[in-house]
Amino acid sequence: MRIAYYPGCSLHSSGIEYDISTRRICRALGVELIEIEDWICCGATPAHQCDEIMSLALPAKNLVLTAQRSKLKRVVAPCASCYSRLRFAQDKLKDEKIRRTLKHVIGSECPRDIEVLHTLDLIVEVIGIDAMKEKVVRMLGGMKVACYYGCLMTRPPEVTGKERFENPGDMESVMEALGAEPVDWNMKTYCCGASFALTQTDVVLELTRRILVDAEAAGAEAIAVGCPLCHVNLDGRQRQINGKFEDRFHIPIFYFTELIGLALGIGPGELGVFRHLTEVEELLETRALI
Amino acid sequence: MKIADQRDRRVISDLAKEVFERTGENVFLCYQCRKCAAGCPNRTFMDSTPTELMRYLQLGMVDEAMKGNTIWYCLSCHTCSARCPQGIDIAHILNTVRMLGHEKRLKVKTNSAMLFGRVWMRMVKYTGRVYEVGLIGLLNLLRGKPLRDLPLGIRMLKRGKLRLLPSITRPLSTMNMFCRARKLDR
Repeated sequence: MRIAYYPGCSLHSSGIEYDISTRRICRALGVELIEIEDWICCGATPAHQCDEIMSLALPAKNLVLTAQRSKLKRVVAPCASCYSRLRFAQDKLKDEKIRRTLKHVIGSECPRDIEVLHTLDLIVEVIGIDAMKEKVVRMLGGMKVACYYGCLMTRPPEVTGKERFENPGDMESVMEALGAEPVDWNMKTYCCGASFALTQTDVVLELTRRILVDAEAAGAEAIAVGCPLCHVNLDGRQRQINGKFEDRFHIPIFYFTELIGLALGIGPGELGVFRHLTEVEELLETRALI
Repeated sequence: MKIADQRDRRVISDLAKEVFERTGENVFLCYQCRKCAAGCPNRTFMDSTPTELMRYLQLGMVDEAMKGNTIWYCLSCHTCSARCPQGIDIAHILNTVRMLGHEKRLKVKTNSAMLFGRVWMRMVKYTGRVYEVGLIGLLNLLRGKPLRDLPLGIRMLKRGKLRLLPSITRPLSTMNMFCRARKLDR
């Protein structure tokens, strides 16, 4: 199965483990990811906060590249923000006037039949949890995982098409299939403050802390995420939070693709988990995963 | 402190109408149930809640809408829009009011969100992609805090989580897109 791949800017630097693990598990599950040639930034939040036209033209251009260069009908965008922007553009292309405007700006007709998937959709809807489960060689030993979706994997529902946007359950189903134990908690779709990460750190520390506090109260040993910006905040800022609020957080934050990879028998080093800023060794050792 | 003067008021004499023309969202549908305020993760940092902002828009209270920090503290998490019983895309409205304030050159109480957006968009325009190290460095320099988050940056660098060189993709084609969009705006 060949599917176009749109990594996005984060996956080329701060979210590199997400890129590595996504490619690695797709190979193991028999999906060939074709990176879109010459992809450009989707614009993310800053674009739709300061330039309405470009906020649609940038993702639409990537849809054009998907159709013209890779000649595929489906594209996977692992970053929740890229996924959201591509879906937004796809949604807005239904409008005749917007389609004409974007055609003018981009210089070619925008395709309307490209299906934009998040990596989680790829696993659940395309590959299927049962097919994935067949390839699991080591269970995660009841690891208590809080599945964190953040904002853009489910919201806005009319764009993502998710019915359970307040209390999603796809990642939980995946974790159960891997032998982990998803915990019940409240902050699944709460915002970590991502778009403020570089400008208003005080806001990010406060919001990220609320998520960590709730995960810990629910008894989670680790948090699984599907967005590079959430990962940077939850993983990288634990030390800053501990300093500022006198907390003692040490909760490993995994991309859900890394946990799938571990269960598929791929070595932790190969998945990039040792690049995390909150060390994962201790937890993996207790579950005999190293 | 009076921030928007009479001239500004004339320019956007009907704020609600302007918002409607740009977004297709009707602020008069809001009946002040406060679901958006209750769900907003950032409300503790805001001068007035999103619900109050909707009332300002309904009543054409330009000063109040623009001078508070509410529009600048929206995280674009879409919780308000997803929960609104009237189906109003509140996050889109907040963004639009922010852009309006900027375009009409109202003196607004701002944080660095606008600077962040502009630096980001420049970077996309000229290189096609966002170069994280450059973005962080430039933002810190422009804000006069060159050492902000340096320990975090060093830790990330050590783990190979930062790419030191930018990746530039077909800058001309992206620049052309920006230019054509700019002409359309005019």
